[in-house]
Amino acid sequence: MGTIEALYIFDEHNTLLLEHNYTGRPPPSSTLLPLYLSHPSPRPSLVYLPNTNPPTLLYSIIQDQLLFLSPCTTDTEPLQVLEFLHRVADALEDFLGSPLLASRVEGCYDVVAQLLSEMVDGGVVSCTEPNALRDVVEAPSFMKNLLGGVGLPSTTPSSLAPSNTTPFSLGSTRPSLPRPNSNPNTASPVPWRRANVRHTSNELYVDIVETLHVTLSPSDRPLAAISNGTIAFTAKVSGVPDLLLQLSCPGGINNAIALPVFHPCVRLNRWKERPGELSFVPPDGRFVLTGYEVDLLGDAALAAFTTSSKTPQPKLNIPATATILTSLGPSGSDFEVRLSLNPRFMGKSASPLPSATGSSFPRAPGLGRGTGFGSQGTTAAPSIEEIVVHVPLPGSVRNIVDLRASRGDATYMPVEKGIEWRINTREVSALMSSDRGGDLGAVATLRGTVVGADEDAELEGGPVEFPTSSPYEYEEDTSSSYQAPDVEKPSEKDGEQQNARKVKQNKVLMPSCAMVSFSVKGWLASGIRVESLMVDQKRSKGLGAGVTPYKGVKYLCVSRKGVESRC
Amino acid sequence: MESISRISSLLETARDLTLEAARDASYVRKTSTRVLPQAQLKKLLDSRSERDVLEGLRRVITMSYRQPPSVTLPLFTSVIKNIASPSLPIKKLVYIYLLQHAEHEPDTALLSINTIQKSLTDSNPQLRALALRVMSGIRVPVISQIVSLGIKRGVGDMSPYVRRAAALAIPKCYGLDPSTEPQLQEYLSTLLGDKQYFVTGAAVAAFLEMCPERLDLIHPHYRSLIRKLVDMDEWGQLATLRLMMIYARKCFPRRTKKVKKSKFDTNDKATKTTKGFYDSDSDSSSPSDHEIEEIVLLDPDLELLLKACQPLLQSRNSAVIMAVARTYLYLGTPTYLSTAIGPLISLLRSASDIQHIALYHIVQVCLAHPELFVNYYTHFLVRSIDAPHIWRLKLELLTLIFPHAAPRLQSLILAELSHFSHSGSQDPGLVREAVRAIGRCAQSSVTSSKTSARCLHLLLAHIGSADSHLVAESLEVIRHLIQRNPEPHRTTVVRLAKHLDAATSPQARASIIWLVGEFAGLDAENNIAADVLRILAKGFADEAEAAKLQIVLLAAKVYVHYLNANPPAERTKPATTPSSTLLERLQEEGGFQDSSLDALVKQEESKPHPIEALYQYILHLTRYDTSYDLRDRARVYRALLATPSSTQLASLLLLAPKPVPQIPSPSETRKGYVLGSASLVVGEEGGMGGLRGYEELPSWVKEGEEPNPRLREDISAGGTSSSGASYDSGRVLTAGEQLDRAVGASRAQDLGTSPATKSLNGVGGASARDKTLDEWLAEEDEESEAEETESEEESEEESEEEETESEDEGESDRLKKNDSEDECGG
Repeated sequence: MGTIEALYIFDEHNTLLLEHNYTGRPPPSSTLLPLYLSHPSPRPSLVYLPNTNPPTLLYSIIQDQLLFLSPCTTDTEPLQVLEFLHRVADALEDFLGSPLLASRVEGCYDVVAQLLSEMVDGGVVSCTEPNALRDVVEAPSFMKNLLGGVGLPSTTPSSLAPSNTTPFSLGSTRPSLPRPNSNPNTASPVPWRRANVRHTSNELYVDIVETLHVTLSPSDRPLAAISNGTIAFTAKVSGVPDLLLQLSCPGGINNAIALPVFHPCVRLNRWKERPGELSFVPPDGRFVLTGYEVDLLGDAALAAFTTSSKTPQPKLNIPATATILTSLGPSGSDFEVRLSLNPRFMGKSASPLPSATGSSFPRAPGLGRGTGFGSQGTTAAPSIEEIVVHVPLPGSVRNIVDLRASRGDATYMPVEKGIEWRINTREVSALMSSDRGGDLGAVATLRGTVVGADEDAELEGGPVEFPTSSPYEYEEDTSSSYQAPDVEKPSEKDGEQQNARKVKQNKVLMPSCAMVSFSVKGWLASGIRVESLMVDQKRSKGLGAGVTPYKGVKYLCVSRKGVESRC
Repeated sequence: MESISRISSLLETARDLTLEAARDASYVRKTSTRVLPQAQLKKLLDSRSERDVLEGLRRVITMSYRQPPSVTLPLFTSVIKNIASPSLPIKKLVYIYLLQHAEHEPDTALLSINTIQKSLTDSNPQLRALALRVMSGIRVPVISQIVSLGIKRGVGDMSPYVRRAAALAIPKCYGLDPSTEPQLQEYLSTLLGDKQYFVTGAAVAAFLEMCPERLDLIHPHYRSLIRKLVDMDEWGQLATLRLMMIYARKCFPRRTKKVKKSKFDTNDKATKTTKGFYDSDSDSSSPSDHEIEEIVLLDPDLELLLKACQPLLQSRNSAVIMAVARTYLYLGTPTYLSTAIGPLISLLRSASDIQHIALYHIVQVCLAHPELFVNYYTHFLVRSIDAPHIWRLKLELLTLIFPHAAPRLQSLILAELSHFSHSGSQDPGLVREAVRAIGRCAQSSVTSSKTSARCLHLLLAHIGSADSHLVAESLEVIRHLIQRNPEPHRTTVVRLAKHLDAATSPQARASIIWLVGEFAGLDAENNIAADVLRILAKGFADEAEAAKLQIVLLAAKVYVHYLNANPPAERTKPATTPSSTLLERLQEEGGFQDSSLDALVKQEESKPHPIEALYQYILHLTRYDTSYDLRDRARVYRALLATPSSTQLASLLLLAPKPVPQIPSPSETRKGYVLGSASLVVGEEGGMGGLRGYEELPSWVKEGEEPNPRLREDISAGGTSSSGASYDSGRVLTAGEQLDRAVGASRAQDLGTSPATKSLNGVGGASARDKTLDEWLAEEDEESEAEETESEEESEEESEEEETESEDEGESDRLKKNDSEDECGG
């Protein structure tokens, strides 16, 4: 029995797109889908279905609204199957175009069928490298029409021609380049790069994307601040280029980048000897070169987490944060969310503010200016794009009334139980310009009032009430913080008491956190920069003399509900 | 590592719009793929024009994906006819169709075999590989011999693609007809020695599918496999690491040596990358235990494997990282394991589906080695976007590292947990789990009493909350804590009793009442139990059933205590005289000290003691309750306490000391499962002993029962000297047989090799290579028979020496490679 028994793909309405059976007799998609959907959402990636025959492990991923399912009737390595599903999604996207749409899959079943049968043989995953797949499967013809100008060769020459030279693994730990005398028409020298790549315009793009995950405690101290970085690389260069990408960081690259993982093309030894230098022969097209993470707090984080405020807080440069104030108003049913924007990210190049992370990008010779930034958001003056604040609410909240935002639109979503507060790019810049250089930066606020599920009952003195005067008292030796302090007070303060009680009851309805989403172009939280990207002319081959590829660098810092402020 | 499509979604701003548009469009999309009538399709397929045939095939493939096979099956003959087409695209599509439908029409499918067999000799390697794959993929058992022949041809093919296809066809052929196994194993042993890592990866996968117990096939290729490990593709690496886990367990006995330990052992040094807080912790906690430590002695061959895994820790494939971690956990030393912790943590930044599975595995490793994870605590902090299955595991991790954390981190973790336990959190489940986590933190053996008190304080603060989930859960945990250590908590019970007024949830009330009852016997002079009972009796009718049950129990307990303290003396005296022991006991307790008994009895008769009255009152109330359970229980207590003088049985039942509750970490139940298996993730749901196909970790082979380490050494040298492609299959056959015999011999004789042999082979490393395999094997047999009296330690030493030598060779080899690479790089 192989690991991958079958693959089912469903579209966004959960109708079957395709069913590909590799080995064995797993339960069909028609029986698995209802069982999968009956699992309460959010559904875990591995669901065990003991009631099918035979009992089935169902793996699932969702990519671009398409649902990928893979059943297994025996114990398998879960991560292996999930990785495979991701690779299928990647390969399909590579061949059919991005994003992956149901209509595209439907349009090219023949290509999809070839791909799927190439990727798994008898249940064993055999080949998932997009470049290697390009060698054996032809991309759909409309792609050729589209990319005709890009310089895809009209017929992909097969790299499988018989050759006596064994091009793969010439006994080296990392791919070495073929001897110069090797016939250019034979196999691809590196398994991840297809043979005989030809492009009319030679281009190299580096996209560094960092995703922020910051948690702020109620006192605004950062508990955790991690930035997950990914370097996506696009190589459209003829021949077999050998590239050297140099990264730098204000605090030293070694201190910044932690736990990196690499595409197999990266020479690990080089990185170990000289951190920050990535030497590699890229696959053709788009791929992920490196993933890393940066702890923005550093080692001192824990030391700062004390009750005494003497220790300085670790400085964090977060473009936008929210603070949330609860139990406001006489009955404690109001709350307020304050969104404060860091004035550094105004997006005006005239901004004279000095920056700790060095916003001026030391441009290496030959490195083209980043394209695709549009008019705004450059490395010199990064700007925040659309900001969304999410405030999740407890399940017992029935409604939100009086929702007022000083900027943007706020809506209450009853199904998800939360508030979504959107401030689009234009309003962000308006907000920024309204700020007159205070310390706080620009601030926008949102106020609302919660209405609980049993509000009416409470007003009549509902069942949750308990006698205010305790019938018995015991001497206590420890401090009793929870004891109602006003047990013996006369009833004249009844109104106040009732309010206090209401505050207490409404406390349950208060939101406990706010999450900010945004994206900033031209800025990275870690401060990592591309120093240079060089094509090693000596070791590269097939790239014509004197051809200098166009190079572009793009930085993007994203938070997807990643900046979380608690209260 | 994030997949490229996920990164693209961040980079492409228009993507969301496209997706939305596609979703809207898809309502109309259904009509877009129109289905041609059968006749028209047939016409296309039978057409002379290649273009038409291709178009027809495309449509058929489309149909086969969307409709049941019955729709496309009538076209079988028309499609198969095209198998002889010279056009590669047409062939490919026909093959795909054939694979999908052959099972339904086995007879017609057989007609195509001839043509496919012809393709096996095609000049295009791609076609050869394809043909081999299709032929083995057709599930028609009659052709198994033909497939076997095809594989034989493929094994000797020039192109690595074809050899790989041959390797992958082996398990399929075995599935068709298990009787072909002997031939297939031959092919497999050839392929395992292939020079192309590309092929060996597939061969290992095939080996695991077909005959994972035939480890003797691996011996000669062990070192070459490990050398190729870095270069294989991810799936080959996975298969190899899986194989090596079994292989190492069965071939390398675990040797340990007791060593006196210096202040810092190597283990600590490795984990102490940054001057961690737990360092001092572990040092101070138990310096005496560490004085003498067992150090694992690694077999040089095993060490080779462990070292080869090191670069894989930076793989982009999460499964590979996990496999390396598994290798280190089960085969390596803590030093090796500590290098895998960071990469394991790095899996948490992948997509949420991988993150979920990775967390299960991290918990599993953390159960065994919690101290290694302390530095990564920031990754375990719960975010409010985490799904329940994610935060549940994160909370568990926090509690697992809690005992090993520095005080500051401990307080951070507690603050974190209490934040989530506060009302206002969205999910009642999260509240519950957070409170339980606090309880686990408090009861951990390492926790100081001060921290424990702090946990209790946190929990007590929750009792006044309006959130009933929180209160109930907090009380449950408090109850556990108090039970574990009742003495210092007497006042806590009093405080809890006071909260009976505020607590509304029946479960919470029940918990408090039970606790009060449990403590009713302590400190009889100043006990609140009776008083609490008095108050509860007033509102008995309004209580929920859970609380009522506990009230009755409390009443019974209070009454028993009362009876024990003031035994009703003489009225029952006649009745109890037969049981003298009871009487004695009562006397010992000083029950008869009062001289004016008569008066007392009279007084009692006229007006019963309040406690007794209360007890009777409660019993009366329960008698008319609607709940069967409650009525039954009341009946039991009534019967138990019917004769006030004989409380022995009742005390035994009601006042028995309760066992101290243990709240184990939720994942303890899955602790036995092997890292990286699905059974680990599914847990108990999968039934005892894991899911179908789950394999236990083999136990270490016993010292002296392992196969001779030299099986790995010299033959591999012989194997690598001849290239995989040009392997003469005849010779390999004999080699395989010889090997089997050698293994059998070594097992039977518990082979101790002589120094003479050693020196002979050690010196003649090259000369051994010159000899043929057969000669060498014959020689070994002879010598081993001659020298059996050698002591084991000596031979061990010898072999170790020799292996290190060969390893050095490998090392220098690698260095050379690095040099050559640098040359290329320079």
